[in-house]
Amino acid sequence: MIEIKQVKIGYKKCLFSIEEIHLERGKVYSLIGANGAGKTTFLQTIQGNIPAIQGLIKVDDKNILEIDRYTKSTLIAFVNSKFDGIEYLKVKDYVGLGRIPYTNALGRLSLLDMEIVNKSIHQLNIEKLADLNTTELSDGERQLTAIARAICQETAIIILDEPTAFLDYANRKIVMEEMKKIASSLNLCIIISTHDLELCLESETEILIINKSTKKMQVFPKNQLLKSELVEIGF
Amino acid sequence: MILNRKHKIIFLILIALLPLLLGIHLFSGEINIEFKHFWNAIFQFNDTNTSEVIVREFRIPRMVIAVIAGGGLSIAGLFMQTMFNNPLAGPYILGINSGSSLFVAFSVMSGIPFLTSNLGTISSSLLGAFIFGMIILSFSYLVKSHISLLLIGIMLGGFASAIVSILQSLSDPQELKQFTMWSMGSLQQVEFEDLSIILFFSMIGAISSLFVIKPLNALVLGESQALTLGIHVKYVRLALIIITAILTGVITAFCGPIAFVGLAVPNLVKMIFKTQSHGILMLGCFFIGSLFLISCDIIIQLVESSIHIPINALTSIIGAPFVIAIVLKRLA
Repeated sequence: MIEIKQVKIGYKKCLFSIEEIHLERGKVYSLIGANGAGKTTFLQTIQGNIPAIQGLIKVDDKNILEIDRYTKSTLIAFVNSKFDGIEYLKVKDYVGLGRIPYTNALGRLSLLDMEIVNKSIHQLNIEKLADLNTTELSDGERQLTAIARAICQETAIIILDEPTAFLDYANRKIVMEEMKKIASSLNLCIIISTHDLELCLESETEILIINKSTKKMQVFPKNQLLKSELVEIGF
Repeated sequence: MILNRKHKIIFLILIALLPLLLGIHLFSGEINIEFKHFWNAIFQFNDTNTSEVIVREFRIPRMVIAVIAGGGLSIAGLFMQTMFNNPLAGPYILGINSGSSLFVAFSVMSGIPFLTSNLGTISSSLLGAFIFGMIILSFSYLVKSHISLLLIGIMLGGFASAIVSILQSLSDPQELKQFTMWSMGSLQQVEFEDLSIILFFSMIGAISSLFVIKPLNALVLGESQALTLGIHVKYVRLALIIITAILTGVITAFCGPIAFVGLAVPNLVKMIFKTQSHGILMLGCFFIGSLFLISCDIIIQLVESSIHIPINALTSIIGAPFVIAIVLKRLA
């Protein structure tokens, strides 16, 4: 799905390099690295928001920098670390905003769009929240709602920037489990940046780690590393 | 835009209220006029009949401009609030009206014949609104806080009015009078012949507004999320400033500055409709904004024989406490 070869990542100056990494559908990748190692820069680069210093990133066999904004919005969805909720915006309507790339000039949702909204809400088991206002939710519920909106966008890739940073243990666990379920049932490529080493080991995700000493990004399949090894490599 | 039952009921009430208040507005002037003269004034105008002249030259233009100014300023306010993610934004507080005022002052007091004509005033007003809109847009990239942007808008307003007062002290009595009359804000200076140009610009504003509904819905989530939803935020912001400049510029050219409508009405509309769907909000802003300004003007007409209240004063008296209430509610 995402093909990265001989790439240098950074904003003006190079933060780290990648020899060759393929990110595939059906898998959840936890992106790990020390503060300032370049996690956010990496996420911005694979979305094509900032260019790589050197090398090419291909999404679906196309250079990400050459994909127009509209096509990109049908390919990659993004979830922020925090969604504060918006006054007078109901959960259902918020999730419906994920359909924006597909609606006509007036933004009207078709019956099919409505169906996809309901399916996304069902996928995350938040039906009981559907008619609530996004400001009335707990932090955990809001994060699930934000994920539902990303699913509603029907992209092959979902990128989440520290989605669990503001959540308690139970909610962090729920978010990770949901992401794993979604990745396999909808066959999506999901990338989650996180500081929570235990959580990504426990949830058995693939690991993307920025090696602190070699300044290279490495990918490890699930269940291959221990926490001590993660700490050794990344921090 | 999906209307639920509640929205439909509210719109039905608004649609019923509008002609009712328009009727009251037409008949609430100082001089009593029979119904048949209204009909004749439009379809069989006879310029020797005083009643018909009053209707055609005063009542109808005043009613039409009240509807357009109320609706237009409210929609412009909604655009500013969503674009800057700031419930206290509006064309007046952000200094966009002041841009119009400044440029109108320049053109009225320039003494150049074209600039002092109606068309000259409109052009200057549009240009001023656009330039000040672009200035506030550039500042919005530099400041992060909501309050800072509002303060910058207020400073722009202060700056513009300082220059205006210097211009006033330099100008001759005739120009000064023309500008002072204008700056008090009034719905009475519009003439029947002006209506076509006002309607022309309003239609441009209305039609182009349809195309920003979807981007506005996305902008509610903030700029970065709107980008990931495939919205060209840069163009959308420019389009919003242009539409706001057209609406605010034309209205300000003919009515002078009118405060608080653009700030208060969109907030009221959101409270009533409880939605972030901008198709509904725009329609709501049009109806409630025009009903609000029509009602204000009915009050002004009713007391006209004893006291002359400028429209700007009345909208401020009603709008300012409402805005303070919004601020208190948000801070509490």
